[in-house]
Amino acid sequence: MKTIKKRLPHAVVSGVAALLLPLALQAASDDEHKYHQLFEDNCASCHGSDHGGYLAPALNAETLKGRSPTALRTIIMAGSFDTLMPPFYGKLSDDNIRGLVSHLQKTPKLDNPAWTIDDIKKSLKVYVKDESTLPAKPAYQIDNIDDIIGVAARGKYGRGEGSRAIFINSKTHQKIGEVPTGTAAHIIEYNPANPRWAYVKTDTAEIFKVDLYSMQAVRSVKTGYNGPGIGVSRDGKYIMAGSFVPHNAVILDADTLEPLKTFELEGIDPDGKQVSSDSGMIIGTPFDDIFAIALENAGQVWVVDLKDGFPVTRITNVGHHLHDAFLTHGGQKLMIASYDDSIVAAIDLKDRKIIKKLEAGCVPHVGGGSAVEVDGRTLGFGTNFGDCDKTVVSVWDLDKMEVVKQIPVSGGTESPAAHANAPYVAVDIISKDRRARTVQLIDKKTLEVVKTLDVGGHAYFPEYSADGKFLYISAGYSGDEVVVYDSVSLQKVASVPMESPAGIFSHGRVRYMTRGLSPDEIKGAK
Amino acid sequence: MKAPIIASLIVAGLASSVSAQAASIYAGESRAAAVCSQCHGIRGTSADAPFPQLAGRDADYLESALKQYRDKTRKSDIMNNIAGSLSDQDIDNVAAYYARIKP
Repeated sequence: MKTIKKRLPHAVVSGVAALLLPLALQAASDDEHKYHQLFEDNCASCHGSDHGGYLAPALNAETLKGRSPTALRTIIMAGSFDTLMPPFYGKLSDDNIRGLVSHLQKTPKLDNPAWTIDDIKKSLKVYVKDESTLPAKPAYQIDNIDDIIGVAARGKYGRGEGSRAIFINSKTHQKIGEVPTGTAAHIIEYNPANPRWAYVKTDTAEIFKVDLYSMQAVRSVKTGYNGPGIGVSRDGKYIMAGSFVPHNAVILDADTLEPLKTFELEGIDPDGKQVSSDSGMIIGTPFDDIFAIALENAGQVWVVDLKDGFPVTRITNVGHHLHDAFLTHGGQKLMIASYDDSIVAAIDLKDRKIIKKLEAGCVPHVGGGSAVEVDGRTLGFGTNFGDCDKTVVSVWDLDKMEVVKQIPVSGGTESPAAHANAPYVAVDIISKDRRARTVQLIDKKTLEVVKTLDVGGHAYFPEYSADGKFLYISAGYSGDEVVVYDSVSLQKVASVPMESPAGIFSHGRVRYMTRGLSPDEIKGAK
Repeated sequence: MKAPIIASLIVAGLASSVSAQAASIYAGESRAAAVCSQCHGIRGTSADAPFPQLAGRDADYLESALKQYRDKTRKSDIMNNIAGSLSDQDIDNVAAYYARIKP
């Protein structure tokens, strides 16, 4: 762990330095540490521990060059509208805000810090020592565990009291559990083999193993500094997690959260350059005992076999800046988005090669993706940030692997939701104005937008309940509620308050693999 | 006996609606989203935030507080600046909007 390594020698040296260095120099160096810590404690979970950016922009000497310190101070004080940036007025003193601005404007992007398998081991925390003391069934009334919907509540400041994984019974729309996560919860995965376990990953790369029967965290481990990537193997025995900071991934024992093997993410990118890479999506598949992981910057997908030594097959030249993906054909085919090429690449996980690259709108972010069967065809739906004039949702025929239609929508989109029993595919409009309050509904059959819901807040990450009867949507940012609609009438039926909700994850996902497919799809490759 | 009272209520109602240009909660919603909710939230503030909640507060109170911040009879670096950007109509709208929200 690099920052510690850096700090420890300094503490030793500073005693000597006190005798030798002029007082002013010593004070400057103390200040640097103070502001580094302030950055880590308040900013790094979104802006990246290496100052290189993560959910939020990079803050370093280069990116902030020429920016007015007064303007930067105002943003920190008042927050930034239409983003997740909260106001730090009253949380940080004016002197600290000024000092932080000056610190950021002279700090370069830091080198990729180390976070080794030993660091991961040492970070393991056990909250429930003897898991046999846990209840044998849910300690609350629920018809089916798949009715659980988990929401990643970020908390206004991306950390603190409001940062929780919140679990809701999607039949009653009542909260059934809240698990504090310290920093913003980002992804919730469920164990496909044992319904009681959920895994929550935060923006500071901790993974909490959560017992859904007693609604508490039983263990946690810190897998890096930042990064949302997490997948669970089909047998429920392994977790793979990947980080933006540092550039690594790790396979954990899903039961104990102990690390088994780490991977340095580097490789030759599509332009022939050897690069070190962020971790993109990680996915387990019902098709095989493997994980697939995207190396964002290297443009590669690695297939890791879950056997001795965890060998890796590298699929290269997939695209520039890979991000997220979804599965189809019983989990044999992986559809992965490439931001910079504006394509989605179809990969065969059996042959471990690229099948085809499909047009996907501008800056595709498939957000977990959706696939539905309509009139004998399996159609995939892909959202995209749409940082261009053409804002569309792409529809692909996943059998023929061709573009069926690019449906015009009112702005950029981030995540599509579909369900076998619901008539509409919901997409969240994220363009930074009033449109961000809305979600648009696409009729599965006509492939046209038929309705726009005004959800409020920054509405994103729609998700259907496991029975398809209800559509859950986060009214995120300052909206501070999850809004529930009837999936057919589209009437609002409930509101669940929480702080800055984001991703919504139905437990039903373990049955239908990709949202919108029927549970039968998972039983075998077509 | 009753008629004059009703008449005076109607007159008062007309007078206030003229002076207030009928506060619009829709305009208030949009202004609150752009100016207030970043700190004060819509229904409530963050458990970690130092800002008071506005939802469900009395409209007259919100209006008078905002006007005091605007004319700086009530001091706050940040609120003096923010209220300074609001027109009378904005203040009416925002106060009416927050007063109607259930926290």
